[in-house]
Amino acid sequence: MTRIFIAIALCAAVAAPAFAQSAGASGARPAAAERLDALDKRITRLEDLNQIERLQRTYGYFVDKSQWVQLSELFSDDATLEIGGKGLFTGKPRVLEYMQTAFGPDGAKEGSLANHMQFQSIPDISADGKRGWIRSRAYVMSLGGWGLPLYENEYRKENGVWKISRLTGPFTMYTSWDGWAKNALNNTWPDKFDPPPDLPPSTVYLTYPAYYIIPFHYPNPVTGKPFIPDKGEVGAYQAPPGTKAQADSLKVGRLADGTQAIGEPPRD
Amino acid sequence: MRTRKAVLAGWLAVLAVSSFGVALPVVAQDSLQARVAAYRERVARLEDQDAVENLQATFGFYFDKGLWNEAADLFARNGSFEYGQSGVYVGQDHIRRALLLFGPQGLAQGYLNNHMMLQPVITVASDGKTATGRWQGPMQLSEPGANGVWGVGIYENEYVKDGGVWKFAKFHFYPTAFTDYDKGWARSLLPMKGQSALFPPDKPPTVVYRSMPGQYIPPFSYKHPVTGKPLTDLPQAVDSVTGRK
Repeated sequence: MTRIFIAIALCAAVAAPAFAQSAGASGARPAAAERLDALDKRITRLEDLNQIERLQRTYGYFVDKSQWVQLSELFSDDATLEIGGKGLFTGKPRVLEYMQTAFGPDGAKEGSLANHMQFQSIPDISADGKRGWIRSRAYVMSLGGWGLPLYENEYRKENGVWKISRLTGPFTMYTSWDGWAKNALNNTWPDKFDPPPDLPPSTVYLTYPAYYIIPFHYPNPVTGKPFIPDKGEVGAYQAPPGTKAQADSLKVGRLADGTQAIGEPPRD
Repeated sequence: MRTRKAVLAGWLAVLAVSSFGVALPVVAQDSLQARVAAYRERVARLEDQDAVENLQATFGFYFDKGLWNEAADLFARNGSFEYGQSGVYVGQDHIRRALLLFGPQGLAQGYLNNHMMLQPVITVASDGKTATGRWQGPMQLSEPGANGVWGVGIYENEYVKDGGVWKFAKFHFYPTAFTDYDKGWARSLLPMKGQSALFPPDKPPTVVYRSMPGQYIPPFSYKHPVTGKPLTDLPQAVDSVTGRK
């Protein structure tokens, strides 16, 4: 609430003299109109932030219930989709084919549970209002166990309608119902299941108990510094970037082909 | 989430009051004032969405801890509360009493009633008087003497702005699956509770469905964000018990 009062006080202090200066001449109207234009932009940005969050949450609801046609219609025609280590699928028809082939036909089936609960979104909109990004996560609670994908997605406004233009959903951890202290599943890989991707994975990385940090689309909100990922040849993280442990870990787990060793979970 | 839109309210107030008190041509002034009026509406809808999100989140915090009086106070006078197959309770007094079916006021040793509220999709009506919201609702439950329970479900609620304050008009939670904490979904499925004999509801359930292994998609309160088509009649799985084809 205090922000409102600060804003009012600031506006009152700044806006009135600024306006008075230009009001004497015929410049009065443009000055007011320009300020309204700026205001329109800010309101539109807030609406856009809500709209891309709505897209991402709706994506989650469709995944939960295997609504693949509905889901594919959230994407732009030239969208790309990359989930886990499976590689890239390009174009809306391939998004649909991937979902229907890998996870079965449309419609929730009796006795199945595949909840991909969506939360913790950080939405951003480009200065020109045409593109957006969200970092967020899903908590998967399914018949098979638990899963933790992250998202770093891109959205595009086409004719006033926001669509998903790039879905990037790397995995953090997948485990059976035995729990992550006893079991950790490998990342997926291109030929683990059908259909094969159009392009290989953009990054090869390992899932828990190793860890991979997907680059942030936004800088640290306090320092303003961008996140600089290690430029290692593997891209698998087992320790914070810049540490010796992490430098060493760049030499293991080269291929996410399902054959790499999975280490013990870290212990204190 | 909650402060994003608030700053703009101040801007609008200032523009409306200070900018157009000078001698502008009548037409120009009209169109500027029309723009301010339109922006004021758009900011109001953003604030409404925030208020509705906070209402639901607050209900969740009260519900978690057995704060039944506080929870019931969030309902409109004729508001209703419907949870799974337990039927519909109408009005604050009945809702207050019905909430006791989830445990004693303030809960007690051995109770866990966590209903997490995630993934909101809020739609505020253009007049700003009503709203709907879909939410994802994982649950962590426990009662004394029983093992812990995991649950999942969907909220599809209706809200009403009553005297400038957002309240629940219709609270409808569709739990869709419950399982034993240790066994998990593949090895344990717990049934949904039916209507209480101790304090029967005012009306039977508005939707008859089974939780897992049954499968049910609560109709969406909002239209597909890209195609604009309604999502109210998505094909449902066949259910031989309820007779759904």
